[in-house]
Amino acid sequence: MSSSIQIKNLKVFYPVRKGILRRIKGYIKAVNQVTLMIEPGQTYSLVGESGCGKSSLGKALVGLAPFTDGDFFIYNVDHKKLLHTNRRRAAAKIQMIFQDPYGSLNPKLKIGDSVAEGASVNNPGLTDRDLRRIAATYLEKVGLYAEDYDKYPFEFSGGQRQRIGIARALAARPDIIICDEVVSALDASVQASILNLLLDLQDEFKLTYIFISHDLSVVRFISHQISIMYLGEIVESGPAAAVLNKPAHPYTKSLLQAVPDPDAQQSKEYQPLAGDVPSPLNLPSGCFFAGRCPYKKEKCRAHPELSGLDNQHTVRCHFPFIHES
Amino acid sequence: MTPVLEIKNLKTYFAMGDKTARAVDNISLPVYKNKTTALVGESGSGKTVTALSILRLLPETAFHPEGKILFKQQNLLKLPYSRLRHVRGKEIAIIFQEPMTALNPVFTVGYQIKETLCAHRPVKNSLARKLILETMREVGLPEPEKQYDSYPHQLSGGMKQRIMIATAIINEPELIIADEPTTALDVTIQAQILYLLKRLKQQHHTSVLYISHDIGVVAETADFIAIMYGGQIMEYAPAQEIIRHPAHPYTRALFASLPYMNKGRRRLNTIPGKVAPAHKYKKGCRFADRCKYKKDICCRENPAAEPVDNTETHLSACFFTREINRGKI
Repeated sequence: MSSSIQIKNLKVFYPVRKGILRRIKGYIKAVNQVTLMIEPGQTYSLVGESGCGKSSLGKALVGLAPFTDGDFFIYNVDHKKLLHTNRRRAAAKIQMIFQDPYGSLNPKLKIGDSVAEGASVNNPGLTDRDLRRIAATYLEKVGLYAEDYDKYPFEFSGGQRQRIGIARALAARPDIIICDEVVSALDASVQASILNLLLDLQDEFKLTYIFISHDLSVVRFISHQISIMYLGEIVESGPAAAVLNKPAHPYTKSLLQAVPDPDAQQSKEYQPLAGDVPSPLNLPSGCFFAGRCPYKKEKCRAHPELSGLDNQHTVRCHFPFIHES
Repeated sequence: MTPVLEIKNLKTYFAMGDKTARAVDNISLPVYKNKTTALVGESGSGKTVTALSILRLLPETAFHPEGKILFKQQNLLKLPYSRLRHVRGKEIAIIFQEPMTALNPVFTVGYQIKETLCAHRPVKNSLARKLILETMREVGLPEPEKQYDSYPHQLSGGMKQRIMIATAIINEPELIIADEPTTALDVTIQAQILYLLKRLKQQHHTSVLYISHDIGVVAETADFIAIMYGGQIMEYAPAQEIIRHPAHPYTRALFASLPYMNKGRRRLNTIPGKVAPAHKYKKGCRFADRCKYKKDICCRENPAAEPVDNTETHLSACFFTREINRGKI
């Protein structure tokens, strides 16, 4: 199956420099050999704990983190090359919304100008008046008012600022929007309205979302495809229903168990996962998860490869859980 | 059941220029012995201010709280500072949300636990060290001898929260106030900390006042749940009762907006409007402006908490709870 958005063997390595000459003494392998095939118009979620590389992956795709190696194609256009040769055109294809709605807007810029800047990416020749009109329509699209154009970020609440961030990304008319923990900083009722907005906009503009989150309940709600990441690698990947209802990797299983669920009985007894995530600076040998895995065996000293359970569901484990169908 | 702590008609107001922000406005809540009582609400609902009022850790812009906070037959709000010092950290301990900022970066974590211990118990250095290492082992810190002399920045977020918990339980307090203790942590680490808190509560027969915005977390840890909105308690009931049969319009709307409950890719329910800031509360029910069942009386009078059914343990502050739940409105 060839998908229209292909990310192949992506590596994001951050150099570690030491000493007076700041020589490179090693690399933090934030993302290592990640391959994603994304169907247009769908939501592809990347899930993991802090430090698993999900944000680095998102940032690399918009050119905010080093794209150390790998390929990135959008509809057979080499986007990696485009990022180097023409950032403006690259930005018109793929946009990003950030986690912190307080930190991601320029406090000295009118919010309308922030949005207009997004629109100007796609149409550099537009007059100020046109840009203002376009920005106003996008503000309305995300549930704000055209009159809000001349206001500054501090005049808005967290949820409204997140809407401004969405309008800014949308104004560039991208094919793909990367949503990096866009609802984690919001209250439950505000979170619901932002998630609804994302669904509506996806339908209206045929957007593809790369949705980065640690919150499995949100991911369950919004995703078509899911990849679970651990220490820079994908450990399990597949259609949302398969990964969440029939988890094959022990890590996915413990992530799902760790999610507090109001529907669950209080007597839910399980042993939480022991230990912390190891440092990506010195990765363990063998299976990265073995140190915390309750099912560890001799064979886990060898690093497992991603292998298919069926033609869509893949897992990186020597002893995956097999669910009867 | 006897309450270990009883909050009665607590009002904590703040000065905001020439206006008054009514952050906590007339709340009453019992915290029962050996039970976990949870205060749940969105940001700005007044749950943290309630916690801080109990130990009088409020910032300077706050007026002195009105009402009563009864603990061991004494009103904490009237207690002189010299006596309050014996309560803080000894009989009532608090765990804060962000272990990164709650620990002092320039002292070793062992020293910081010792500070709390020695403030209330004059013990010799050797005994103090022994007690601290025992407690550190109890909260699941690996190699406590090594960790004793480490600084906060050398520990991960989960480890730091374990240090905070060790500090809180070292004097075996009767009540622990936990203010969003897992919000800053990853899910698997959150599960570890919740598991630890549950175990400690059972072993030490501690009562817990648990503050959180996450209904899922609270459903798993709490025995009783109070839902706060606009500085007031909207609904109070045993945990499973409130999760299964939310009665107040706000609680119902809040639960419906959670993605947990909705399986699959459907639109979520939203609550129209937004939370009013604490200096702009209007007359009447705090939730009235956003409530789909609003009637005239809701904008005139503030509803008192009334029993929802005949059990008397499930309270809801709404004029029309019974009608709404019977489907008559």
